[in-house]
Parts: sequence; structure tokens; C-alpha cells
Amino acid sequence: MTIVYESLAKIGFMFAVIMGMVVVLIWMERKGAAFIQDRTGPNRASIAGIRLAGLIHPVADVFKLLFKEDVAPANRHRALYNMAPWLVMTVALSTYAVIPFGDFLTVAGRRIPLVVANLDVGMLYILAVASLGTYGIVMAGWAANNKFTFLGGMRATAQMISYEINMGLALLGLMLVFGSLRVTDIAAGQADLIWGFLPKWGVVVQPVGFLLFLTTVYAETNRNPFDLPEGESEIVAGYHLEYSSLKFALFFMAEYAHMVIGAALIATLYFGGYQVPWLPRPALEEHAGLLLTLLLAGTALVSVLISVAFLRRAGRERGKFGDARDREPGMGAGLWLIIALAALAGLLQNPWHIGPSGAEAFASFIQIGAFLAKLVFFAWLFIWVRWTLPRFRYDQLMHVGWKIMLPLGVANLLVTALVMALV
Amino acid sequence: MEGLLFWFCGGFLLLGGLMMVLQRSAVVSAVWLVFAFICAAGIFAVLGGVFLAVMQVLVYAGAIMVLFLFVIMMLQGPVLEGERKLMPVGMWPLIAVPPVAVLLLITGYLRSDATVAFAAAPPAGFGTVEAVAGLLLGRYLLAFELISIVLLVALVGALALGRGERNQPWK
Repeated sequence: MTIVYESLAKIGFMFAVIMGMVVVLIWMERKGAAFIQDRTGPNRASIAGIRLAGLIHPVADVFKLLFKEDVAPANRHRALYNMAPWLVMTVALSTYAVIPFGDFLTVAGRRIPLVVANLDVGMLYILAVASLGTYGIVMAGWAANNKFTFLGGMRATAQMISYEINMGLALLGLMLVFGSLRVTDIAAGQADLIWGFLPKWGVVVQPVGFLLFLTTVYAETNRNPFDLPEGESEIVAGYHLEYSSLKFALFFMAEYAHMVIGAALIATLYFGGYQVPWLPRPALEEHAGLLLTLLLAGTALVSVLISVAFLRRAGRERGKFGDARDREPGMGAGLWLIIALAALAGLLQNPWHIGPSGAEAFASFIQIGAFLAKLVFFAWLFIWVRWTLPRFRYDQLMHVGWKIMLPLGVANLLVTALVMALV
Repeated sequence: MEGLLFWFCGGFLLLGGLMMVLQRSAVVSAVWLVFAFICAAGIFAVLGGVFLAVMQVLVYAGAIMVLFLFVIMMLQGPVLEGERKLMPVGMWPLIAVPPVAVLLLITGYLRSDATVAFAAAPPAGFGTVEAVAGLLLGRYLLAFELISIVLLVALVGALALGRGERNQPWK
């Protein structure tokens, strides 16, 4: 029974991470777009004057979408129309089963591997689930009985078929290098160093494969520059045009959940996953006391600095708005001061002598933190690319997929195989 | 546990196959077929062929049926208006098939000694990628390569036929 509880806990953790990331990503997208387009972005929604730099907006969005009227076309195919959003979301969430978010964690003497399902064929599972993702989009496009949604569904299918082969080819090179189809083996294999200083990350041993994989991940998530299935300027909103209220919200959340998967896959397969560069697990455990002390001291210092910055803003902007928003800088200063005090209290507990079990737990949490940090960075990369590149034209999409990436992928695979055979 | 999963997947596989045949709309038929494929993959997984199960989903459900659905949707177009929901009267006796199938499944489950059927564990390494690859690229290498050549010939032939008489550049 313990294994069931363990699995449930891990699934719960991953679900919380994804849903939390979805909210943060919606905020990051709007703020990032504003940053790139040189404007302020969302800053109006507030709870008692606290705006959290726009983080209240996703919460407001959720309530808006929950209570909106569900308008649906009269001549839809009822069953498929209702099933599509659910399917898109389910498929988006199920890829996470094979992604390790840490090495292991020792709880009450049991070593718990930090992955929900350590499949023999994890890499193939990723490809299989990714290929199922199209069904929801195609069903939505067809069942809504609208020519624009239909075109969106068709485009999604064609795009998925073209890019899935490239994704497989890119991953084959990686499987050859690490000699395994287990995602955990690939993540663990990236702890080594090449020539003593270069981390053996996927991006180092498979640079071409990484570029191919990055491009196909963008295509599979239907994000710019590959968002032809949506294509606002051409087919209005594509496959989810006829959806409203919570059904639309599911499509919207699924897009961000796909982004989180994409980012997690890029981080796990090509950027060392949960590995901290130059600090493999034994080193982390050995120097746990020093690292923890440094971490707490750094946190305390940074929080004090942020708190001082908030205090100065509070002094500068006294009475700027003349309403509840004036309390914001003061409360920010207080919050960061509390964090600083917590870090200082931690320092007083003598973190240098953390003990072997403490060191192990510390290493586990640092590795989970490293994974999440990489995840956030690559999620930001998605947003960055979206607001930088224009959308492909349809013939360009097909040209890139079949005439450039496919030969490149085959060449990469052959060269990798040759090198592996010779070395 | 395995026995239960086997009957679960098997029951839904039958349901999927039946619904695929009974549906009037080709698109919905295709969706039921995908469902049946996934259930078949579940049976492979229960029997120890995890690699086969994943390949079933990847190749049949993920690639081939997506193409099928693409073509069907192109030909059938949007949802038919005034589509007849019920089956023709002549097929009504078929309604008895699902309950009978479920009854058969239940009796089969109750009467078979499910624990015995799954007690004989497969040999170590059965159904892994290494085992399948060893067979495909070792013992059955010739057949494997010949099949791929047959598929290639069929593909080129379909292309040549599909282009029609007038559009053949070699004439």
C-alpha cells in the first residue's frame, strides 16, 4: 500500500507544480509581452490594494471563466465537442508521468525515486503521448461545425504529422549517446563531466539534436512561430473558436500545461534535468553544511536588499494613488523582512553541522530546486520566442519540416551512430 | 490485479470495436477505433509486452489513425445536418450484443482461474526493447527487411496510381 500512497503523493506534487506553473506562466506571458513591447502590462486587479505586480490577474481570470455563460453552436457534434477539451488537458498532463523531478528522497528510511513511473520505454512513451495530443484539437475543430475551426484542426494534424518524425529522430540520437530509453537513465547520465570541466549535458553531446528537438517541441505545443492551428489573423482563433467559458479555459490551460511539459522535457533531456552542474549528488551531500550556510546567508542578504528597496519606494511614493494601493510597498518590505528573518533564524540553528540524513535531504531538495529553476527558464524561453518571432507561412512550415529538418535529423543520427561505433 | 486489468481492457476493446462498426458517422467510428487500439495496447502491457504496447499507441493510435482521421474529415466535411441518430430498424437486434458480451466477459472472468492464467510469469527480459530488437534485427532480419521493402513498393505504387494517367511525368 505504501507504494500507492507514494505514487499519489508524487502525482499530487507534479499536478501542483503544473497548475501553479500554469498560473505563473499566464502572468509571465502577459508581463513578458509587455516588457518586450515596452509597456506596463496587467497591473489593475488587486486584493485589498495588493496587486503583486499583476499576479492577481490569473486569479481574476479563473473566476471570470468559471462564471461565464457557456455558448455553444447549435449544430455541433455534442459528444466530441464536449470531449475535446477534456482530452487535450488529460493528454497534456499525462506526459509528466515519466519525467524525473529529482533523484531520490529518503523518507522514514525508504528511498523514494522522484519520478511517478520509471518506464523501460519512457522516451517512447513521451512520443506516444505527444502524438495523441492532436486528437483533442482535431475533434474540437471538426465537432464545432465551423469552417474556421475545421481548418484549424486540419492544420494541427498536418503540422503534428510533419514534426513528430523529426522529434523522434532528434530523440534517437540522444538515446544512442546515453544508451537507454529510460528518462531517468538519461537524466542520471548527465551528471558526468567531459574532459573534467564540461557537464555531459544533452545539449553538449547532441547540439544539432537539441536544435531539432527545440523546434519540434515548439511545433508540438502549437506556440509561435508554429501557431498556425490558431492563426488569429487568418482563421480567427482556429480550433477553439467555438468554445467559451470553462471549456475554453481548459484549452487555454492545456496550452500552458504543454509549455510546462516542453520546458520540462528540454530541461530533462538536454540540460541535465535535476543535476546541478559541477555539483553531482555525492559532492552536494559532502558539502551540504557549507552550501546550506551560504544559501541561507545569501537569501538573508538578498531579502534585506529587496526590503530596503521597497522601503525607499514607500518613502518616495507616499500618497501617490490616494487609495489602498499605497499600502503595497510597505507590505512588500514587511514580507521580505520576514523572509530575511526566517533565513537568519535558520542560520542560528547551526546549519554547518547538518548531519548525514540532513545532508541527504538537502541534496534532494537542491536537485528538485535545480529542476524547477531550469523549468522556469525554458518556459520563459517559450514566451520570449513567441513575442520575438512572427508566424510561419504554411508552405514555410512544411518546407522547414520536411526539406530541412528531416535530412538534418537523419544526418545527425548517422553521424552520432558512426561516432558511437568508432569511440 | 493483472487478471482484472486484462478483463477491463478486453471489455473496453470489445466495446470500442463494436461501437466503431455501429456508428453512422465515419469520424466517430475512427475515434472509437482509436479507443480500441489503446485498449489493445493495455492488453499488451498486461501481458508483459510494454514495448509493444507503447509502439501500438505510437504507431497505430498516434500516427496512422491521425492520418485516417485527416482524410475522413476532408472527405466527409463538417457535421452532417439532420443526421439520423438511430440505427436502421434491421440492425436493432444488435442492441443485444453489448449486454451479451458483458455477460460473457463476466462469466469468463468468474469461471476462469485468473490467478493460474497469469501465474506463469514470462521469462526475464520478455517484451523489453532489447528482446524485441534482438528478434527483429537477428532471427527475423530477412522478413523484417522484406516487409519494409513491400511497404515501400506499395507506397510508390499508390503514388503512381494516385497521380492518374495524365500526370505521370515519365510518360
